[in-house]
Amino acid sequence: MKVVYTWLKDFVDVTATPQELASRLALSGTNIGGVENGAHGAVIEAEVSSNRPDCLGHLGIAREVGAIYKLPVKPVLPKPAESTAKASDAVRVEIQTPDLCGRFTARVIRNVKIQPSPKWLKDRLEATGVASISNVVDVSNYVMLELGHPLHTFDYDKVRDHKIVVRKARPGEKIRTLDGIERQLDPNLCMISDGDSSRAVGIGGIMGGAETEISFSTKNVLIECAWFEPVAVRRAARFLKLHTEASTRFGRGADPEMAELASRRAAELILQLAGGELLSGVVDVYPGKRTPKKIRVTRAELLRVMGADVPDKEVESSLSALGFAPIRIDQNRGAEGSILATWECTQPSWRAEVEREIDLIEEIARIYGLDKFPPRLPAARQGAARLPHYEAETRLRERLIGLGYREILTIPHVAEERDALFRPEGVAPARLSNPLSEEASVLRSNGLVTMAAALEWNLNHGQRNARLFEIGRHYRLNGSDSVETPVLTLGATGEGRQKNLYEPSREFSFADLKGDLDSIGALAGSFEWHEGGPAWLHPARRGRLQLRSNEIGAAGQLARQVAEKFKFRQDVFLAEFDLDRFCSAVRAAKEARRYEPLPRFPGVERDFSLLLPDGTHFSSVVNAIQALNISEISGIEAADLFRGKNVPAGKYSLLVRITFQSREATLTDAQIGDYSARIVASLENNLGAQLRAQ
Amino acid sequence: MPFGVIYIAIMPNIENPTEKTLAALTINDPLAIEELFANEKARFDKQLAAKNPDEVNYALMKNAWLGRKAGVLTLISENWLKSAPPTLKPIVGQSLNQLKRHIEESLELFWVAAEKTSEEAASTRDRVDLSLPGVIRPAGSHHLIRQVFQEIEDIFFSIGFSVVEGPEIETPYYNFEALNIPEFHPVRDDMDTFYLELPKSATTPLLLRTHTSPMQIRTMEKQKPPVRVIVPGKVYRRDNPDATHSFAFHQIEGLAVDADITFCDFTGTIEYFVKQFFGPSVKTRFRPSYFPFTEPSVEFDVSCPFCGGIGTAASGGTCSKCKGAAWIELFGAGMVDPAVYGFVNYDAKKVSGFAFGIGIDRLAMLKYGIDDIQVFFQNDVRFLKQFP
Repeated sequence: MKVVYTWLKDFVDVTATPQELASRLALSGTNIGGVENGAHGAVIEAEVSSNRPDCLGHLGIAREVGAIYKLPVKPVLPKPAESTAKASDAVRVEIQTPDLCGRFTARVIRNVKIQPSPKWLKDRLEATGVASISNVVDVSNYVMLELGHPLHTFDYDKVRDHKIVVRKARPGEKIRTLDGIERQLDPNLCMISDGDSSRAVGIGGIMGGAETEISFSTKNVLIECAWFEPVAVRRAARFLKLHTEASTRFGRGADPEMAELASRRAAELILQLAGGELLSGVVDVYPGKRTPKKIRVTRAELLRVMGADVPDKEVESSLSALGFAPIRIDQNRGAEGSILATWECTQPSWRAEVEREIDLIEEIARIYGLDKFPPRLPAARQGAARLPHYEAETRLRERLIGLGYREILTIPHVAEERDALFRPEGVAPARLSNPLSEEASVLRSNGLVTMAAALEWNLNHGQRNARLFEIGRHYRLNGSDSVETPVLTLGATGEGRQKNLYEPSREFSFADLKGDLDSIGALAGSFEWHEGGPAWLHPARRGRLQLRSNEIGAAGQLARQVAEKFKFRQDVFLAEFDLDRFCSAVRAAKEARRYEPLPRFPGVERDFSLLLPDGTHFSSVVNAIQALNISEISGIEAADLFRGKNVPAGKYSLLVRITFQSREATLTDAQIGDYSARIVASLENNLGAQLRAQ
Repeated sequence: MPFGVIYIAIMPNIENPTEKTLAALTINDPLAIEELFANEKARFDKQLAAKNPDEVNYALMKNAWLGRKAGVLTLISENWLKSAPPTLKPIVGQSLNQLKRHIEESLELFWVAAEKTSEEAASTRDRVDLSLPGVIRPAGSHHLIRQVFQEIEDIFFSIGFSVVEGPEIETPYYNFEALNIPEFHPVRDDMDTFYLELPKSATTPLLLRTHTSPMQIRTMEKQKPPVRVIVPGKVYRRDNPDATHSFAFHQIEGLAVDADITFCDFTGTIEYFVKQFFGPSVKTRFRPSYFPFTEPSVEFDVSCPFCGGIGTAASGGTCSKCKGAAWIELFGAGMVDPAVYGFVNYDAKKVSGFAFGIGIDRLAMLKYGIDDIQVFFQNDVRFLKQFP
């Protein structure tokens, strides 16, 4: 709403500069977009909030100004000269839908001269950004901007039978509106029709029809000034996708009492600018007349909510200026500042949204000044808690960052076919019914799809080395319920080690990923790795992750066919696991962790160089050794591995390093010799291993 | 008896006397013993003086004289001291200790000299070039948004706010109705909402929450006052993306409800937060505003922390952060509207409280001078590296 400073002065003798005024308005609740000095003086851009339709006119803003500066607001008292002929003989109005249209007033002016508006009127309209059309049409816009109430003018002679019927739209009904567009109507819409009501001549509260429009040949004018039910108007505007100055005002709640006054003001201006003869009286059908609500406000409640007091005088002056007519009704009314003070207020017709005591408290506080309530920090009455997994998640983050992973955040909206690449079978994705685009039409059913996209972005922008992690959620449907699951997703590509002065570079490999995951897994006990894994992973370089025999995720190299979809030209590694389960395990592991006394006797390492048939897993070696139940074995490591050269085909060489340690004594050579012999025998018998050297 | 002295003096090339006992050396008076020790001392000094001070010689000398198995001192102790007649034992012991001290001190000096020499040698050859890089093991980083979340969480946690999280997929009831935003409320026009495609059997529509405020309701449904929570999370609005809009962004909701929470407590809490976040010199301002779920509602402004609240940048031009306004609008907040308590069975006559919703992305953009919200979600490592 553009507020013209000089126009405002028609109503209130404000002396503050436009800048000062704008700043005071902003601090009392009228948001200000800016102040401009244009050809027609200062214009303040007021961004009126949706609960204040009364401020969508200069009079309403003037009322705010009056309250702020304690200045009187001049009353609007139009007294147009009337002829002896009665309006009620010239036009009839019938409201069939009082639930949608609470009031309809009609005035008739005969023998007007439609012509361009005078300069002062054009200037004011121009200053508010409204195009001038003709004197009569301009008057209706002018009055709307002045008093905040929309009006509509008909060419009286085009209204059939000079009769208006307000009714609901009929099935299949259409109307061509003033903007020339033919619109399909919905039976819930409130229509203005004429004659036998078969023809619609306007959509109530939104826009008039083209057929009864004022033109330069119009002789007689019918002024409509009505009141329409706000929710119905908002519904209608949304249904029609037609948002007008009128629908904004009616949709937020216009002042029903203003309808007649605005009509009279319009008549006065039309007579002044277009001449003619105003028929006496007004046809006023007013089924929705309300008795003004009484609302009480007490000092006790004011103190309870605001925490600091407001003097009686300030309470009364602000409420009076805003039209609430406060009256002290408590027994102590003689005593100023009484804690028992109670004021009874009357809701003004233009403030339908003020219904409760809290609403009045807000009015008092904002006019008094929010800065007058001294800030203080309230005492806490109980301890504060972090999220249940805060500690586990923090440990996880620290470790990931230590391992060189950078945290990312992604938007879960993805393309259906991309999500499907990583979506487990049988999972129902959460699709949007109103996506902005196909590329963002599904909420990710896994964290991998957005991780792959982040790697893709980096590779496409010349960043070939990336180690990333995301702590996020994936979104799925279970029937008609949504399921959001926190997940950790890792992504890595490029160098596993940067080249530097002392070492060459090395590409990130599956072993890097496994090592990183095992470092993380140590927080939660440790991960168990199992064969297999989802199809988006490379069949030869993937694994399933378990924690205490519960499957929680998978890790490995991205499968070639998926990598091709992203046009990846280098190996990409991904992992994902269920975060809640992991964090629970971290907590459990922490609870179960106990100190293990350090060994007092030295450990002894022995290396076993084995030739093993291809396909023999290290875990089989470990299992075979552990099966011997030699309690002095404290560690079994794979120390070296190679194929080819002196190793016969079908075999590979594995150097296994075993640490022996006793808690009771230093081990003797004889004991170690005995253990070694048993180990070798077991490996030879169970795995077909050959000992190369020890 | 001087005999021994003469014997040693005139027979210098005879076998090492420390390998023999005093008796074998036929020494039996204190003077001769002193002479014997003086000779050993002289022998040590001569040897030491003949050697360049370095680590090898130090080790050699130390081993030769102080070595536990066959060092000279060990031999003296074994051969002279142990078998000395009781009358001579004290003098042998004393002399031995003196000699030992002398050798240790001399070797210590020798070692210092050795170190100095080796340092000098190494200075040209082995000394590290401090201007060369070390071996970097690249560390990772927190996302900037996460850092800002953490900072804000910590500030509120320190004044008794618990952290809770909630679903991003919500029902219209929690996102709108229970927050006093009925259908067709004009505020809904400002929050263009994503909806989920659901099977026909669904009993309620599902949407992506447009703010973190639904957690106000969920929290109050679950617990009785006092309530003090903050809710970090992602929110969604169906806006076309550009430099200042993303259809996903981040908020922290705050809610405090108790028997005696007032507007003054509210402004005090917000002020505390902002001074912690932007620094103590920042000024604050509350402008009345409108939200359906708070009353009184406010917009909260801070004096522009970048130009010091004067609207003019250090360069003299208009401050680019506040665009000359001297104030920056930070977020909306207010006292919880009594109507909201009705939805969670709180007695609006007995409790009061406040709520706020802070946009994190905007805050981070302001604080770090980021001009495009999209960088948060592109995850370019060059961006991520800037905020370690």
